[in-house]
Amino acid sequence: MAADNRISDEALVSAMATGDQDALAALNQRYGRALSAVADRILRDKADAEEVAADVLWQLWREASRFDRGRGSVGAWIMMTVRSRAIDRLRARKAREPRAGDPVEPAAANDPSSEIHSSERRRKVEGALATLNDGERDLLRLAYFSDLSQSEIAERTSLPLGTVKSRMRSGLIRLRDALQGSIE
Amino acid sequence: MDHAEIKDLIPLKALSRLEGDEARAVDEHLAAGCDECERELASFTEALAAMAIVESGGDGPSDRIWSRLQARLDADRPPQRIEDRSVRETSRGRGFAMLASAAVAAVVAIAVTTVFFNSRMRTDSSDMSNEIAALTARVVEVQRNLDTTGDQLAALEAKVAQTTDLTLASLGPDSQVVRLGGLPASPSATGSVALNRAEGTAMLEVSGLPPTPDDKVYEVWWIGEKQGPLKAGLFEPSSHGATIVSLDLPPPGEVVLASAITLEPSSGVEKPTGAMYLKGDFPRR
Repeated sequence: MAADNRISDEALVSAMATGDQDALAALNQRYGRALSAVADRILRDKADAEEVAADVLWQLWREASRFDRGRGSVGAWIMMTVRSRAIDRLRARKAREPRAGDPVEPAAANDPSSEIHSSERRRKVEGALATLNDGERDLLRLAYFSDLSQSEIAERTSLPLGTVKSRMRSGLIRLRDALQGSIE
Repeated sequence: MDHAEIKDLIPLKALSRLEGDEARAVDEHLAAGCDECERELASFTEALAAMAIVESGGDGPSDRIWSRLQARLDADRPPQRIEDRSVRETSRGRGFAMLASAAVAAVVAIAVTTVFFNSRMRTDSSDMSNEIAALTARVVEVQRNLDTTGDQLAALEAKVAQTTDLTLASLGPDSQVVRLGGLPASPSATGSVALNRAEGTAMLEVSGLPPTPDDKVYEVWWIGEKQGPLKAGLFEPSSHGATIVSLDLPPPGEVVLASAITLEPSSGVEKPTGAMYLKGDFPRR
């Protein structure tokens, strides 16, 4: 997923396989906040979200030597895994409302190259998302950040099930096509 | 369902929004090795990851996650792994730690004494430097052994904590404990699951399972009365002794009929697809 001249995510995973803790720290530097935020958006519990995010990076650390690069990028794998684990945890316990006392982590300082990379990627992804119509965009968000089935999404949005399926499909295809070539 | 119909479903697969026959058909098609659909799935997964990162506020570090990882690194430094030690080694581990501490103290004392006397008796500074270097190397070696022993001790303490959790999960009026029996895939394996909903604890203890292939992991399932198989956790067996892992709780209100362990792809699956290695039925209440 990294498209700049930084050390690639894949190289960091290779370094992790040799026991390089700095490589693990570098991956947290890149993805820690996003992992935690995605899990929090699904779980609505910051402590649980941080635990899930740490679990994902820990799994990658423990299994770095076996990471299968043929099945996609490191970034895609960890984002897919954090979503899957967060949904599993959500299913396993009663959903809780966000607590007023949840601690808010102060933003940690990024290095300048990361900031440039991040803002560039944000611009590209936002551009790609803008090619979707509102219905497609909303359905993709709902499908990604919730544990709702197709039927539940249809009920929630008051759309026919067939429309939900076709919009999720067309939206994701449009997003993928718009991103292809712009983000490695 | 043919290839074109399956390919149409890949975006929904990437969103984990396939159910029933469609989900089964896509999984079987991918398992059969369709490279084109694998590439499609990977490309959609990449697009969703990019969307998620931006929608969640962008990438960047998390100090709190790093703190959690650092604690795990400290407790689990290679080459010693928690699974590689049995609880019985606790007292021996502590013995080694004390022995190693005493050894370090002794070597340091010998070094200081030797250097002191040598400095009084000799004037050849190069000989003394060599001896200091040799003794320093001994001290470093003993210190390294002490570090290793400390790692073992930390791992053993974590193991004891896990065993305590298992014990607590097994006790109390609300506890349910079920013995897991080996199936044809692993007839000599045994295990037990302890579930205590009141305490919010679920633990698995298992032994005798064969090692997992590189791309596989054992997945634990709750078999629910209403929802069927529900993910409870992933683990790899220890190379020695029993493996103890904490499990996710089953959903509130779901009656658990049984627990089972299957061999699955390393990232885990939503529903069981691989061979079943252990299973046990919960007593009906």
